[in-house]
Amino acid sequence: MGNPNVGKSAVFSRLTGAHVIVSNYPGTTVSFTEGTMNVDGRPCRVIDVPGTYTLEPLSRAEEVAVEMLPRGDVVVNVVDATNLERNLNLTLQLLSRRVPMVVALNMWDEAQEHGIKINVAALEEALGVPVVPTCAISGEGMRELTQRLPAARPGTLHCEDGERWQAIGRIVERVQEVEHRHPTLGQHLSHATVHPIIGPAFALVVLAASFEVVRFIGEGVIGYAAQPLFQRLWLPLMQKLSVALGAGAAGGALGLLHDVLIGHLMDGGISFGASFGILTTGLYIPLAAVLPYVFAFYLVLGILEDTGYLPRLGVLVDNVMHRLGLHGLSVVPMLLGLGCTVPGILALRLLETRKERFIAATLTAICIPCVAQIAVIAGLLGQYGAAGFVPVFGTLFLLWVGLGTLMKRLVKGTTPEILLDIPPYRMPYWPALGRKLWMRMVEFLREGELYVMVGVLIVNLLYSLGVIAVAAKLSAPVMTRLLGLPAEAVGALIIGLLRKDLAVGMLAPLGLGLRQLVVASVVLAAYFPCIAAFLMLLRELGPRDMLKATAIMLVVSFLSGGLLNVLMMGLGL
Amino acid sequence: MVMSLEELAPGQTGVVVGFGGGHGMAAKLDAMGLRSGKTVRKLSAQILAGPVTVLVDGRQVAMGRGIARKVLVETAG
Repeated sequence: MGNPNVGKSAVFSRLTGAHVIVSNYPGTTVSFTEGTMNVDGRPCRVIDVPGTYTLEPLSRAEEVAVEMLPRGDVVVNVVDATNLERNLNLTLQLLSRRVPMVVALNMWDEAQEHGIKINVAALEEALGVPVVPTCAISGEGMRELTQRLPAARPGTLHCEDGERWQAIGRIVERVQEVEHRHPTLGQHLSHATVHPIIGPAFALVVLAASFEVVRFIGEGVIGYAAQPLFQRLWLPLMQKLSVALGAGAAGGALGLLHDVLIGHLMDGGISFGASFGILTTGLYIPLAAVLPYVFAFYLVLGILEDTGYLPRLGVLVDNVMHRLGLHGLSVVPMLLGLGCTVPGILALRLLETRKERFIAATLTAICIPCVAQIAVIAGLLGQYGAAGFVPVFGTLFLLWVGLGTLMKRLVKGTTPEILLDIPPYRMPYWPALGRKLWMRMVEFLREGELYVMVGVLIVNLLYSLGVIAVAAKLSAPVMTRLLGLPAEAVGALIIGLLRKDLAVGMLAPLGLGLRQLVVASVVLAAYFPCIAAFLMLLRELGPRDMLKATAIMLVVSFLSGGLLNVLMMGLGL
Repeated sequence: MVMSLEELAPGQTGVVVGFGGGHGMAAKLDAMGLRSGKTVRKLSAQILAGPVTVLVDGRQVAMGRGIARKVLVETAG
C-alpha cells in the first residue's frame, strides 16, 4: 500500500516476477492485481492495489485499496523517499490500525540525487517496523526487503488523528536532512511545461513529434522488414501450398482447404491484403500491417508515460476538456485507447463521476480509433497522403469536440475539478520500458491473433454461404444512397463487430475511390466497438448506459458518414 | 495580506491559512500536502480559466480554478 505513483507496482513486479504495467503518473493501477512469491520457502499471495493518500477513501480507486487492506496478513507500505512527510500520513494511519508491516523506502536513488538524506535506523526506531531503502525499478534493496518480510510487526507508534501531523513533523525533523541543491534540468523543465504559454506550445511540439515518430517507425518497419519478409519468404511458400492444394480449381475437401488456408486467388495470384485465407491475410494483417504500428505507438507512449509528461498534459488540456464534460486527466485513457480500446476503457476507472466516465467511454468508443484500425487505414489511404488522413482523423476529432460539448449539457451529473499531484520528470528506465513494450506487443498478438484468424474464417464462410450477398441487397439503400459505398461494403461492417483491422482490410478488394475510403473508414471507426471493447464497455458502464451509448454510436456514425459523403461529393472529391 | 490562491501572483509565495470550501475537498488538499501552515509557491495558471499549479514541499500540485479560489494564503506584506 502507498500513495499513488510511489512505485507499488514496480515493487509488486519485483516481488512476484509478474508482469505488470508500471508508469510515471498517478492512476496507473485502477484495480487490484494478484501474484505469488516465496517467503521463507512458503508460497504467499501478494496483492497490488491502487494508491491512496489516507485510509478514508476519497475516490473510487482509493476505496479499492482500503477494501483490500483487511485481506492482508502483512502490509508492505511503499513510501516515496523524496516526499517523506506526505507519505508518512498513510504510514501512521496504518500503524494505528496495528497491521503488521514493513516499510519500503522507495525511490531511494532519486532522493540521493536531490540531496535528501534519511537516517533509516532512526526512522525504524521511530516507527517500530522494519524500514528498507529500495529502488524497485532497478531492483536495489529488493532482496533485503524480501529477507525482512518475516520480521513484519505492528509497530510501536500510535497517535490520535489530530496529532498525526505534529508527530510526522517531529519524525521528519529527526530523520531527514535536505541538502540544498541547485534546481536540476528536470525541475526547470517541470516549471516550464506548465507555463501558460510555453506549456501548450511545448505540448503541440511533443504531440506532433510523437505522431511523426510513430509514423516513421511504423512505415519503416513495414517497408524494410515486414513486407520484404512476407514477399520474399512467405509468398513463395504460400504459392507452393496453393499449387499443392489445387490452386483453387480443385473441388471438394482439397478446394475447401485451399479456400480456408490460402483464400481466393486474385488474378491468379495470392494477394496478402485481399485473399482472406488464414495463412495469408490472417497472418499478414496482424503481423505486417498492424504490429509495426503497435510497436511504434507503445514505444512512444511508454516514453511519454515513464517520463511523467502525461499528468502535465492533463493540466494543460483541462480547460478545454471541461467544456466537453471531461477531467483533464482523461487524456490518459484516451491516449491508451489509441493503442487499444480495452485498456483505454479500463483506465477510465480513474475518473470519479458517472457522467465523466459515460462521456469519456462513449467518446473513446466513437472517436478514438485503435492502432490496429489506424494501421490499416494508413495502409489503404497512404497513397493519398494528407488528402486521405485529414478527412478521416479530422472528422473524428470534430466529432469528439462536438459530441463532447453536446453530451456535457445533456448528461446528468457533474464533472469535478482537477486536483492532481504532478510527479517529477524522470528518465525512463529503459529495461522496464522495454519489458512494458514487449508485454503490450505480446498481448496484442495473443488477444488479437485468434480473433483475426476466426474473423478470416467467418468472412470466408459468409461469402461462400451467400450471406454477404443477401446482407448487401438488404442494406443497399443505406450503403449506396446515404454513404455512397458499394453494397458489398456491408461485409466490412459485419466483420467490424469482431475485429476492426480486418474490417478496414476488407475494403481493399472493393477498389474504392478516395471519398469512399474516407467515408468507410469514418463509419467503421465510429459505429460500434469490436467485440472485445464492447464486452469491456458493457462491464464498465452497465447495460442501461451501454444501450444509450450504442444508440449514440450508431446514429452519430451513420449520420457523419452520410454528411461526409455529401460534403466530399460537393467538393468534387 | 490574506488572499486566495487564485489571486496570488505567479512566482509569489504564501502560507496556507485556511480553506473556504467543503470538508471533502479540505481532506483531499490535506492529503496532497496543502495544510494550514504550509508554504506554497504559485507556479502558473493556465489560460481559459484553467488549473493553477503550485509548488509545495518540492512537489507540483495542480488544482482547478474553483478550488484555488477557496484556498486562503497569507503573504508577506
